[in-house]
Amino acid sequence: MRNAMCRAAHTSYLSPHTFIKMGDLLNIFIKSVFIENMVLAYFLGMCSFLAVSKSVKTAIGLGAAVVFVLTLTVPINWFINEKILGPNGIFGMDLTFLRFILFIATIAAFVQLVEMAVEKFSPSLYNALGIFLPLITVNCSILGGALFMVAREYNLAEATTFGFGSGIGFMVAIVVMAAIREKIRYSAVPPALRGLGIAFLLTGLMGIAFMSLMGINPGNYMTHH
Amino acid sequence: MHSNKYVTVYTVIMTLVVSVVLAVVVSGLKPIHDDNAAVYKKREILKAVKGYLGSDLDKMSDKEVLDLFDKNIKQVVIDANGKPVEGEKAEDLDMAQEEKKPLADRHYPVFTFESDKGTFYLVSIRGNGLWDKIWGTIALKDDFNTIAGASFGHVGETPGLGAEISDNPAFPKQFEGKTINEDGKYVSVAVVKGGIKKPAHQVDAITGATITSKGVTEMLDRGLRIYLPYFESLKK
Amino acid sequence: MAEIATQVEQEKEPFFGKKERKLLTDPLSDNNPITVQVLGICSALAVTTLVNKAFVMAIAVTFVTAMSNFAVSFLRKGMPKQIRMIVQLVVVAFLVTLVELALKAANYPIWKELSVYIGLIITNCIVMGRLEAYAMANKPWRSFVDGIGNGLGYGVILIIVAAFRELFGKGSLAGFQIIGNTPDYLIDTTKNSFFSWYMPNNMMVIPAAALFLIGSIIWIQRSKNQNLVDVS
Repeated sequence: MRNAMCRAAHTSYLSPHTFIKMGDLLNIFIKSVFIENMVLAYFLGMCSFLAVSKSVKTAIGLGAAVVFVLTLTVPINWFINEKILGPNGIFGMDLTFLRFILFIATIAAFVQLVEMAVEKFSPSLYNALGIFLPLITVNCSILGGALFMVAREYNLAEATTFGFGSGIGFMVAIVVMAAIREKIRYSAVPPALRGLGIAFLLTGLMGIAFMSLMGINPGNYMTHH
Repeated sequence: MHSNKYVTVYTVIMTLVVSVVLAVVVSGLKPIHDDNAAVYKKREILKAVKGYLGSDLDKMSDKEVLDLFDKNIKQVVIDANGKPVEGEKAEDLDMAQEEKKPLADRHYPVFTFESDKGTFYLVSIRGNGLWDKIWGTIALKDDFNTIAGASFGHVGETPGLGAEISDNPAFPKQFEGKTINEDGKYVSVAVVKGGIKKPAHQVDAITGATITSKGVTEMLDRGLRIYLPYFESLKK
Repeated sequence: MAEIATQVEQEKEPFFGKKERKLLTDPLSDNNPITVQVLGICSALAVTTLVNKAFVMAIAVTFVTAMSNFAVSFLRKGMPKQIRMIVQLVVVAFLVTLVELALKAANYPIWKELSVYIGLIITNCIVMGRLEAYAMANKPWRSFVDGIGNGLGYGVILIIVAAFRELFGKGSLAGFQIIGNTPDYLIDTTKNSFFSWYMPNNMMVIPAAALFLIGSIIWIQRSKNQNLVDVS
């Protein structure tokens, strides 16, 4: 009797994977934009973040390019990881030791293709984004997105959401940073701290501000209530 | 500018050299990697009965861990109905992989640890924290009611927020002595913030990661429930 | 013919002369990759919560910068221009995979803790930065020394930051427990009344602390060396 009850109770409990959880996707999105922002929490993409955040206009350009590349390369690398490298892939064996090489080669090839396509079909877009594309291959946040996606065992929908969210997160961070740096030129920063030094301190402060958004939790309400 | 033929040949040679070298290195190191992974996993499991091992887990050598596991631990794999499954080893079970299967096809590990301080049943649980996957090992005493120890882990790249469930030893320690049944009915153990009302079944939430606590509560409730039919069968 | 020319050249120059020494020591101070060149802040700062992790990371990065500098410099003449970047990245990714496999065999728990950050050495700007700025235009041996120097310069900052974060955030240093509220620590704050005020500073554990620390290191370095001050 007790056994039966237990079993009933346990089978009636829906598995997290038996229904699509939009809340989960929203959760991943919010998390990747704010709480675990690529730049502010993981320092990924820091080099271009500091180098290209001197004016808002260029920051928006780089940000948009990162959003575009991350949103597409994370799912592409997801397929590579599942269908080629994984034990259930087309080769039927564990090739995960080639993960780094394949991921970065995919990213580099993708960025080059995009650059060529944009140059050919939309010169105006090329003028706006083109100069940032070569910078993007070695932007840690792109490879970081792919590696985090593997480490966190995301499925395809989650991986895509995560890629998009991380891109937006990068863009938000770099645009805000550029806006602050445009204004801080008029402040009396100690000479030795000017430029790079103050940029580091500002990034740290922004990181703390973003982290305090951790209390917001919309996805959880959608799934558990 | 090099010719296309040159580029192609260059690429092919480079790819071949790189993948062959890596394949050789990987196959050479695989036994070591597998051994390391096994020891790591066994240490994680034993963390839940840290206080009953007779020596400090952190100071035990890899060989001692393996010996202890071989000598004192019986492994059983159960199916979703709590029936033992033949021909599988609990230590080979990967909860992350099981989670991808339909609920009815999942298998679960039970480790029975026999020491001079009693018999303990160690079970694995897995769930969702607010932002990431979380998991744990719960050790129950042979009354199948009292928790002897617990350990938790989570996916996470930066230690800090939310990491306290695994990094802060005070959190799992609270679980020791809690009971999962009340008047013979399963109630699990809950993580609550702001004051414990039922000390037998509640532990205090960790500061800084209060929201993960909800996930831990859910994981415990659902995770331990799976093993109840098996425990019932052992009681008989 | 070309071979003979390079041989002669090598004979003229000492194996480890002034230039090599400069290549090795400059990145440690006035040309530090992190605080002056602004490279490689990317991933690896997230590993500065503990000295042990930072140390392993520093060694891994030094190995990768040195070996990739060497390999790319060696390959630079035959490298097809069209796919230069991909070739460089494959060389780096190959080396990083080797590092990962070695670490997984040598110290599994640390490998597990560093998780994705080992892989992220590939896009660590120091590695690519030095390949482009130095290895593509210089001979293998010098490139190798340049790689070592930059790897070490990077490692020094990493370890300084980690030492601060671990000591003030966790009360320990390289795993050695120094100050805390249990008898396991060297200074037990529950017994030692002089240190009874002590509390571990949780802020040091969060990512922002690393940024504050580096900002401060830059501040100190630039106050001492006016030449480095940003005029823009």
